[in-house]
Parts: sequence; C-alpha cells; structure tokens
Amino acid sequence: MKPRLSPQTIIVLTEFLQSPRDWKYGYDISRSTSLKSGTLYPILMRLAERKLLETSWETPEIGKPPRHLYRLTPDGKQFAREHRLLRSPIRVGHAALNGAKS
Amino acid sequence: MSKTRSLASKLLHMVLRHSSADCQDWANAMLRELDFIENDWAALFWALGSTTAIFRHSVRGLKIWFGSRPGPKEELMNNIGKRAVGVVSGVAIASTLVVCAVGLLFLTAYLFPSLGLDRLEWTHWLTVIVIPEAIFIVAAVKLWRKKGPMAVGILLSAIVLAVHFAIHVATH
Repeated sequence: MKPRLSPQTIIVLTEFLQSPRDWKYGYDISRSTSLKSGTLYPILMRLAERKLLETSWETPEIGKPPRHLYRLTPDGKQFAREHRLLRSPIRVGHAALNGAKS
Repeated sequence: MSKTRSLASKLLHMVLRHSSADCQDWANAMLRELDFIENDWAALFWALGSTTAIFRHSVRGLKIWFGSRPGPKEELMNNIGKRAVGVVSGVAIASTLVVCAVGLLFLTAYLFPSLGLDRLEWTHWLTVIVIPEAIFIVAAVKLWRKKGPMAVGILLSAIVLAVHFAIHVATH
C-alpha cells in the first residue's frame, strides 16, 4: 500500500525533481516552495528517515559557515516520480496555496 | 546585528543546546541557514518555525519511545487474541440461544401443562434443535465476511449441537 502524502510533501518532492542531481539548501527550498521552516523541515526529516533523502554538510570554507545540503536518493527519485505521476504538481500547488490563504 | 536577528540566533542556539542527539544535526542545519536570510523578521520567523519543527520531531520520538506503536510480534498476538475473542463470543451467543430455547420450552410446559409438551417429542426437536440450527446457519452466513471468527464460533456450536442430537437419537 502506498503511503498518503500531504500536498506540501509532494511540492517538496517536485522541487527536488526539478534538478534531481543537484544538492539543495534548506532556505532555497523554502523560498522556491513558499513553505515555512516549520513545515519544510519535518518533511525533510521524514524523507531522510525513510532513506528517500540524503543529507550532507558543505565543505567548510574560510569565513563561510558550512550549510546542510539535501538531495533525493535513487529510491527517493523513484518515489517522487511515482507520486508526481499520480498527482499533478500544478493542482497540488494550487491546493497548497488555497490552504495557506484560508 | 539587529535585535530581531539576535533574538532569532539566540533562539536557535538554545534549541541546538537542548535538542536530542538525533535532532542536533537538523538544529545546526537550521541555524546555519539563518545567516543567508536577508530580512531580519524573516530570520525570526525562520527560527520560530525551526524551533517548532525540532519540538514536533522530539515529541514524535518520545511517542515512539513510549511504545505507542506495537511491534510485529505484538500485532500478531493482538490479531490472534481478537480472533479468539470472536470465536468465544460466537460460542457464547449460540449457547445462550440454546439455553433460552430450552428454558422457553420448559417454561411453556410448566405454565401450560394442558398442552402436554412433555409428551410431544417433536416440539423438543423443533425448539431445541431445528430452530436454533437454522438461526445458527443463517447467522454464520451473514457474519462470515464481516465477523469471520464469530461466525466460526457459531458454526462450531451448531456442529456440537448436531452431534449431541445425533448421539441422543442413536442411544435412545
């Protein structure tokens, strides 16, 4: 049985699928998905727990603190593609925006 | 650094200090992102949201630790237990029906001796065997899909009653 995903989780997965090979920063994901940190991070934590998301620390540079990076694992990519096929991201995005407005 | 940003930073540092070991990495990640948020108020809201996220994660961890979710072995035991209760309930319902039928027969014979039910053996068969057996079969068929174990219990009782009747007929 496939787990039921929230519209926000599908938005995050869709965002990762835009460039599946690239590592992403938390704040960048938050800006591009319009999700607040309180919504985004629990989703990232759950995805990481299920081994759908891999995390890494940026290589430290002088004068620049390292940042946490996120990328979908091969299982995560497959999972995201399956769920993106099931639900249109545009419809999901609208639903999430309507939810945020109300 | 403005007061708002300083507050956001202090809040996330506090979260980082007090969070559990599995949350430390995440709390640190949220804190690091703070430096890249241009707006001070956005930084404060980021810190508040991050604190909520860490708190929710810790609460979720506690719930799992306290064993709110049964393991596969416990789940199997629960299923076996539920089935056993279902079968026992079926047997209990069927036995109650038979006891009521026998009681009704004796009560009628006691209250209306003129009917002569003691001497009419077919009334015994009809009240204690035929009607209950018919009810058992109908109930078992109706309950089979929704409450299988209970249907099994009722069927078992029906079989026991039928065997008892057969032995009674054979020996008398």
